[in-house]
Amino acid sequence: MDDLLADFVAETREMLEASGSELVAWEADPSDRARIDTIFRFVHTVKGNCGFFDFPRLEKLSHAAEDALAECRAGRREPDKALVTAVLAIIDRISDMTDAIEAGEDLGEGGDDDLIAAVQADADSDAECAAIPIEVKPQTSETPEGEDAAPKAARSGGGIQRSIRLPVELLDEVMKGVSDMVLARNDLARRLREAGEQPTIDGPFERLSAILADVRTAITRMRMQRLEHLFTSLPRLVRDLSNELGKQVMVDFEGGEVELDREMIEMVRDPLTHIIRNAIDHGIETPADRLRDGKREIGLLKFAARQSGNQISLVITDDGGGINIGKLTAKAVAVGLYTQAEIDRMSDRQKQALIFEPGLSTAEAVSSVSGRGVGMDVVRANIEKVGGSIDVSSKPGDGTSFYLQLPLTLSIIAALTVGAGGQRYAIPRSYVEEIVFGSSSHVDFAQAGDRRLVTFRGKRVPCLSLGEILGEETDNTFDWTAQTLVLVRLATDDVFALAVDRVYDHEDVVVKPIAPAIMDTKLYAGTTLLDDGRPMMLLDLPSIAAMRQLVSETRGKANAVEEVAQEETARSVPIMLFTGLDGRRRAVRLELVRRIDTIDRMAIDIEGARAQAVIDGSIFALVGQDRGALPDERCRLLRLSDGECELVYAVREVLDATEMAGEIVPVSGDPTIEGVTLVDGHPVPVIDGHGLFALHRAPRRESHPLSCRIPADSDWARTILEPLVEAAGYRVTHDDAEEADVAIMLAEEAAANTPAVARSVIRLRSEPDEDGQDSIYRYDRDGLLAALKQVRRGGVA
Amino acid sequence: MNELLLMCLIAGRRAAIPAVRVQSVIEIDEITPIPATPDFICGLTALRSQALTVLDCSLALGLQSAGRGKGERAAVVEVDGHLYALLVEAAYDVGEARSEPIAVPGGFGPEWQRASTGMVETDGGPALLIDIAALVAGPVAIAA
Repeated sequence: MDDLLADFVAETREMLEASGSELVAWEADPSDRARIDTIFRFVHTVKGNCGFFDFPRLEKLSHAAEDALAECRAGRREPDKALVTAVLAIIDRISDMTDAIEAGEDLGEGGDDDLIAAVQADADSDAECAAIPIEVKPQTSETPEGEDAAPKAARSGGGIQRSIRLPVELLDEVMKGVSDMVLARNDLARRLREAGEQPTIDGPFERLSAILADVRTAITRMRMQRLEHLFTSLPRLVRDLSNELGKQVMVDFEGGEVELDREMIEMVRDPLTHIIRNAIDHGIETPADRLRDGKREIGLLKFAARQSGNQISLVITDDGGGINIGKLTAKAVAVGLYTQAEIDRMSDRQKQALIFEPGLSTAEAVSSVSGRGVGMDVVRANIEKVGGSIDVSSKPGDGTSFYLQLPLTLSIIAALTVGAGGQRYAIPRSYVEEIVFGSSSHVDFAQAGDRRLVTFRGKRVPCLSLGEILGEETDNTFDWTAQTLVLVRLATDDVFALAVDRVYDHEDVVVKPIAPAIMDTKLYAGTTLLDDGRPMMLLDLPSIAAMRQLVSETRGKANAVEEVAQEETARSVPIMLFTGLDGRRRAVRLELVRRIDTIDRMAIDIEGARAQAVIDGSIFALVGQDRGALPDERCRLLRLSDGECELVYAVREVLDATEMAGEIVPVSGDPTIEGVTLVDGHPVPVIDGHGLFALHRAPRRESHPLSCRIPADSDWARTILEPLVEAAGYRVTHDDAEEADVAIMLAEEAAANTPAVARSVIRLRSEPDEDGQDSIYRYDRDGLLAALKQVRRGGVA
Repeated sequence: MNELLLMCLIAGRRAAIPAVRVQSVIEIDEITPIPATPDFICGLTALRSQALTVLDCSLALGLQSAGRGKGERAAVVEVDGHLYALLVEAAYDVGEARSEPIAVPGGFGPEWQRASTGMVETDGGPALLIDIAALVAGPVAIAA
């Protein structure tokens, strides 16, 4: 069933249940105004919903009941028993019809008119009124029963709801409860740590923690909804509207997986609907016009959603005629919003933004769809009410785009926690590009006027100190080298460096809104709680940057950070220092090091000259293990990579990452060493990456291995030849019919059999000294591999 | 008129906060200061995993603060969906109002006048009835 329809049925049924007791109470006292109001609201809602779908009978019924009740509310009619009975009969009928809709059956025919007549005001005599419902009632109940008992059973089965509706407050309550539990758990964890190890308690406690984490995730997800949910209802709307207006429109969605707070989705539903109406009504042209303009007959309406930091941006684009600026400005002048002189001074952008002004519509005629006075001004007001913003850009003839920025109230964002002035703050991680230590030699500081600048990787970017932003620090207490720099790239592509005392951790935080007085500082976007229950502020980086004029008006301007001339006297190469298993210091070029692993001794397998380590289910070649004894339990490994394959190097200890300032003095005699360099005055051998990978490089797996057919009926071929061929990177096949890239045949058979389908053939003979021009001795490993290799190169043997 | 009031001491004066608006009275333990905010905002504190904005009532009125000590008490109120902890110098009992809030000729002094709806008689003597929304808005906003 259609989602919308399911919603309609669920909602109607819910209201029926809720009004059940009201109905009974009303029957007892027909003049009870409060009851009349409730029931009136019910039939009114049903009527409204019916109009949206195509249920004329349901609409008629509810309309009749609504009319009668409205008369009572207005005091023009005295509610009496007859009316109550008639209205109740209608509500029963609505309930039956709802069931039928859900079951996908046809609604029982007939009887509606009698019901409607019964509620009408001119139903005069009591006897008549009483008679009609009685007459009618069996009719309504007869229809479903008359058909079959089965649909009824199915209906009651369908009545079990797979989803329930919950008030959001209840979810909040539960969420709060779980958060409290997490805090209590953290407290307990601290106490347990202080008390020392207690195996009997630690196990269950770990389990409790894991369960709690799961519950917390689940609860959080309960509040979030994929934007998809909103998107699914749009194609229908677009279809109906375009049919009504005689246009053809196609919809395209992107970013349906972006999650948004449930409430927020409901908040944007109406504004979005309005934008769609506008786009189809005013934007997209009729098929004939489109063809004339050389466009596709079918218009395109595109929705793209993207999460950036604590904002969701939603772009709605149509490829219609664009905003008619001339008409818009003329109208603005005509209704007296602006004078022509003011309009003339406006930029195109400002002119386009006029569509958000109240009372402006470029539609020539007020159609049934839009232009009824509810304009884009209301849309803007609604979006701004939820803390978002809306912008428009349009190209005449090409189409219009609306840019919606929506905040994620109560949303989880990935944050980086940083410290300044002894306190922690959170930064949305999506803004963070890189973290650099101020003490690193890659970074240069400069001051131009009052503006601090940082030069990093040849780029000079403005630098803000968080302590200074927060007003907690003066110039003379500022020490560059003690700071950590967070390179921030805003959505506008503006880059700046934020100097903080230290960077703590990555954390997923739940952001909650903050009081207006704090909002006024324009420094904070929200608040969140740390694991220990202390509050932490979330910094509003775009606003901070904007306040310091770091955001350029036009995109890309910030990219003009000047490239600093690369005139380094001695190019420094970063290296990593470590001690090998023999306790001697060595170094490796940092670019080679992918990561540092710590694995269990058991995961290392050494046999003779072969050594391998298992990390995360993959086997890596192990080197460096011959330098000394492996530790008994945990082994530190450097995972080196040449970009294609990886190997691991066993070390005793990782010391430091540093610069290799001087040159490398080549040494002879030790092939594993590239040379020796000076680090702090001491000679340190540098591992030869080239040599290492040349020795231990694992054969690359071919994504499309060549196939090789080997004789299926020979045991020797299966058990001895097959592994060798596979190791050489071939896919072994036994299927005679398949055209293999190469076929290996045993000499004695080859004579008997006709050559099979294969692009090349290698023949093997069983005796070494036998003279064979075109065959290879079967244990001549090198010869065989060479032959296979030649096939690979494309040369036909 | 038997409105329930939370009797408290703000800037050395007896004041009353409508008890229906007060969710609870808590002892403030630890406050996380928020830099660059107006003086009367002391910072944030957590109450059962919710962050409360802590306000110093005296400063919010535009008066001198009596200074804060640890373990001070605060009334938790909700304004426009945001929770605030109103720091008071002392929180007494909840008592009944013995009169409607009335104006006094000559006013209560400019600071008090702004954030008070009038004077009420209570069992312990007259007290000024605090207008929570005005208090939360702070001295700057009120003056504007």
